[in-house]
Amino acid sequence: MITETAFIQIVRDELALPLAETDLENDFDKVVSWDSLHLLRLIAAVEKETGKRVSVGKLLSERSLRGIYTLLAA
Amino acid sequence: MSTVVNTPRPTSAADPSGPAAPLDRLRALQSEGRLVTEYPSVAPLLAELAHGDKGAADLVRAGQLLSRLDPEEVAAANPGTLTVSVAVAGHSTVGALAAPLTAELARHGILLRLALGDFDGYLRELQDTGSQLYAPGLDLALVVLDAQAVFDELPVVWRVEDLEKAAGTKLAQLAKLVERYVEHGTGTLVLNTLPLHRLHTHQLVDLRSRAALGVAWREFNAGLLRLAAVHERVVVIDLDPLVALGGALNEPRMASYAKANLGDELLGRYAREIGHLARTLRGRAKKVLVLDLDNTLWDGVLGDDGADGIAAATTFRGEAFGNFQKIAKQIGSQGVLLAVSSKNDQEPVLEVLRTHPDMVLRDTDFVRVNANWNPKDGNLRDIAAKLNLGVDSFVFADDSPFETGLVASSLPEVAVVRLDEEPALHVERLLADGWFDVRELTAEDRARAALYRVESDRQDLLDSSGSLEEYLEQLGVQVKVAAVGEADLARVAQLTLRTNQFNLTTERLQPAEVRERIEDPDHLVLSVRSGDRFGDNGVVGALFAHRTPQGLHIDNLLLSCRVFSRGIEQATVTSVLAYAVAQGLGPVTAAYRPTKKNHRVRDFWPSLGFEPNGGDEEELSFSHPLAELPAVPSHLRLDTDF
Repeated sequence: MITETAFIQIVRDELALPLAETDLENDFDKVVSWDSLHLLRLIAAVEKETGKRVSVGKLLSERSLRGIYTLLAA
Repeated sequence: MSTVVNTPRPTSAADPSGPAAPLDRLRALQSEGRLVTEYPSVAPLLAELAHGDKGAADLVRAGQLLSRLDPEEVAAANPGTLTVSVAVAGHSTVGALAAPLTAELARHGILLRLALGDFDGYLRELQDTGSQLYAPGLDLALVVLDAQAVFDELPVVWRVEDLEKAAGTKLAQLAKLVERYVEHGTGTLVLNTLPLHRLHTHQLVDLRSRAALGVAWREFNAGLLRLAAVHERVVVIDLDPLVALGGALNEPRMASYAKANLGDELLGRYAREIGHLARTLRGRAKKVLVLDLDNTLWDGVLGDDGADGIAAATTFRGEAFGNFQKIAKQIGSQGVLLAVSSKNDQEPVLEVLRTHPDMVLRDTDFVRVNANWNPKDGNLRDIAAKLNLGVDSFVFADDSPFETGLVASSLPEVAVVRLDEEPALHVERLLADGWFDVRELTAEDRARAALYRVESDRQDLLDSSGSLEEYLEQLGVQVKVAAVGEADLARVAQLTLRTNQFNLTTERLQPAEVRERIEDPDHLVLSVRSGDRFGDNGVVGALFAHRTPQGLHIDNLLLSCRVFSRGIEQATVTSVLAYAVAQGLGPVTAAYRPTKKNHRVRDFWPSLGFEPNGGDEEELSFSHPLAELPAVPSHLRLDTDF
């Protein structure tokens, strides 16, 4: 389990993306310079943080950070 | 013992009272919007970062921050920043290279201008002379390949014969594309060997086929490596030793979902090699290795334990130090100058280096032995002054965190190798970076240490002479200026790449570019050899010129710092002016382009009768009317052959 704060911290820290608060809800098309490599890097960091393996295949179809966090926290 | 004069910055991020960890300082600069203007402070931060426990991962994080900067803004805010332009093409996705490449170059103070190619775009981009790999002025064209480049060519169900055939076809295809690149591209093309994964070999269940696959694969990689022997502008990075450092070749999910067939760890190591290649392109390879003695080159403290109490052989720990000495000697045999900076008395140190049975390195292997009680940063400056080199060409290795911290903080341009109390790790630490990497060794490189040692004999003569004139009279300098042939081509290219101080325009030329000029009848490419009563100095300088409709333009003149102030430069230019007169050419023009390193030659052209001919801060122009030629200095003998 990972808290929302820790998740946002990892996003900012690991990806060095200047994310606005609303970027959590936005579709990736609207998030500053997002690409799929970011997602994979994020997953690797979350796994390292939680020690739990994430199902990458499922996450790939998510379109927002909120969606990803919801799956991770589930 | 030594007095603490200068407290080094604590290097441990865990120290709560010390300054923030380098990554945090970098983030702070970014969030305050100062990263662009304070870009020069990035390199020392990254040097510190690279020494940390998680150096590789932290460098990638730093690279992500830095790769978001606009290089044009950074260059505009910091004139004089070294830049290198790199285009990347690959078989897999190449995006993951951006962060480590940015960081590894920034670590050397080099700003990266990066163009990333498309996923699996390497064939098309190598084929298309309009692609970014062929962009004018590009420095490095990286073509990053992985094993799938071959395996993707196989039928769904395959046998080893299919693989053998596919590998052969791929190698032939690559060889042709490389030829195309060498013909039309301007940069250095960088390929890599393709690491083989267990997932590849173990698709074959019979051991005989698996062995045949291993043979075919290595022949394929050997064929790739041979391309670098054939083409001067091709470099092939062997990934096998980088893979052997450990860790997974890739992350299977990243490979499957993101087509990242080479993992982050491996790409980070690859980027480090590219960082050092970029250094050599910009003439910034390190030239001197300065070593501590106690617990660096031998086990024990000479001052406390005495000569009988130190060891570099026979004991377990001693042998580890002996191995380190062997590696230092090996590096020294290839043109890297070895020097000592040690807190010791001079005489006992020289005695050990001359007579101690354990020593692999002897006093004659070093160009300077500074054993004294002065602070080490001062010692490094002293060694640099005596060798006529900048401290920025120094690598310093020491087991004391105090000394490495002191040098890192007070001389950030020195590359610091931090050793510790485990001598078995010394070699690995020293070789972790390719500080001394060059494209090609020359005869001068192999003889360099001896040439510098002869320098101290000259120094003795100078000290005993009444005046500089008297010294030069007794020195018996001979100079030969000649058209460059095949034998000196590599050395002349290397001079353009390594010479910083006596370099009028700092135009760097790869061997292939020197060859192009030699083959062009309008160009004059001259080598300058010198010698004196103490021996031959080899090729110490070069002059590049070309005919213009008006006369002759000198593109560049360079001279090794070993032979400054002996009139060699004056004799060389005089010979070219005389040539212009003899050929009935018009005025001879020349330029001076200031850099951070070449200010001592700012007045060189006027000193030989060249008249200022306009120009700006970027480049000053000069012209010689050829009415009156400067004299060849009377103390030297000049031969010309061009």
